[in-house]
Amino acid sequence: MQALLSFENAPPFAAPLRFFLTAPLFAVLAGLLLAWNGPQLMASRWMPGALAATHLVTVGFMLQVMLGALIQILPVVAGANLRHPLRVARIVHIGLSGGGGLLAAGFLAAIPWLLSTAALLLGITLLYFLVVCVQALASVPSTSPTIRGLKLALVGLAAVVGLGMLLAFELAYGWSLPLAALVDLHAGWGLGGWAGILLVAMAYVVVPMFQLTPGYPARPSWWFPVAMLLLLLLWSGGVLGSVEWLVQLSQGLAALAGIAFCVLTLRLQGKRRRARADATYRYWQLGLTASVAALLMLLVSVLWPAASELDGWTIGFGILIIVGGFLSFITGMLYKISAFLTWLHLQNFGQAKIPAPAMNKILSDTDCQRQMVAHAVALALLLAAVIVPDWLARPAGLAFALANGWLFWNLACAVRRYRRAQADMAEKLAAL
Amino acid sequence: MSHPKTPHVVDARYMEPPGPFVATMEMLDTLKEGEKMLLLLYREPHPLYKVLRQNGHDYETELLPDGTFEILISR
Repeated sequence: MQALLSFENAPPFAAPLRFFLTAPLFAVLAGLLLAWNGPQLMASRWMPGALAATHLVTVGFMLQVMLGALIQILPVVAGANLRHPLRVARIVHIGLSGGGGLLAAGFLAAIPWLLSTAALLLGITLLYFLVVCVQALASVPSTSPTIRGLKLALVGLAAVVGLGMLLAFELAYGWSLPLAALVDLHAGWGLGGWAGILLVAMAYVVVPMFQLTPGYPARPSWWFPVAMLLLLLLWSGGVLGSVEWLVQLSQGLAALAGIAFCVLTLRLQGKRRRARADATYRYWQLGLTASVAALLMLLVSVLWPAASELDGWTIGFGILIIVGGFLSFITGMLYKISAFLTWLHLQNFGQAKIPAPAMNKILSDTDCQRQMVAHAVALALLLAAVIVPDWLARPAGLAFALANGWLFWNLACAVRRYRRAQADMAEKLAAL
Repeated sequence: MSHPKTPHVVDARYMEPPGPFVATMEMLDTLKEGEKMLLLLYREPHPLYKVLRQNGHDYETELLPDGTFEILISR
């Protein structure tokens, strides 16, 4: 009864699956781009290759998985049902994949119409997604910190997309705007206001549920998303009014809030009741450690601004927070969500007459943990390549491509096993 | 486990899904008309809420300072 009933809330498996399978391919492209461009890509964050690789990972991988997962889990974590989840998934997936690809190509080739087309395509796609989500969440009261966080994360998404479009048009048509300050703000809204708040809102649910830890204390949980959003508004105000101390104060406080969340999560994980450390747990440990290191770097650059002028400082920060932090969190959750979804859909398919195979039979934890080692090696090589780019940039790119190709392979094998199990169950049902 | 609100308690805070759902539905089946049960979780169970509404059960949810959601369900 449970699976059948909760299944009513679940969109078709095809809705999130297209995002989950496409995302690693974008990360593979980013790795291959680094292997092809070599050390010059790591020379500065303004290099066309660095901009392209960053957006292949943030738009092509991170945003892809986040939107796919949101379509899937809004009913479960917020009781909010999208009206036509499969149609939404198809439209958003095409817009996001096409827009992400065009954006990277636009940066690489420095062709204005490519950049502006990518910005328009991504803008329209994400505006559509936001409208659909707002419609679904409009009637849902914020009865938990997770729901409040989800709603505020959508504000962050609107801000990062708006700023991204502005910057793309600025690059394409040479508008006269303060580029560096706006790029930092765009990154702040993307990583803090959208990805950060969404991650925290999801963590309130998935960390206790999947890792069997105590819950997050209620009061800070309610306030974290609000505080982060207010700090980003302050940061934006500082940029608009050219008030440097306000920008630095809000950056510093946002870094402290992020560190507090990471340390709290590490403490909760220390009290977990699950003895075995699975891939999701290990991925989160890596993500939390890398995020603390990255946020400490941000704090140092606020207190001592000259630090950000050091060779490799900004690129190193970006690798730590994006590859070490967000990619680790997202991949860890992606494995858990994919395994759970295949099980849920098979359980429903069996109509309570034929049991679904265990989750581990569809997606083995051993395979996930091996892939995680490849991700950790790629991260280490990328960080080392910041120091010795001439020697290590290309191997790091290849290692990153390999780790993400492996992620794609693990997910694709899980889908193949899922389809085979479904066929076996159909035969058994027919024989009943 | 008992609780000031009711003696019928499912503490599902350290259960993996679908354990909390199954344990709740099983306990609901054992309750008499007018009795209440309490479900303790570290998240709001929206799929369960939907089933409770479909089956005509009332429920009230309270979030405690330690992050526990107390869901009081009427038979």
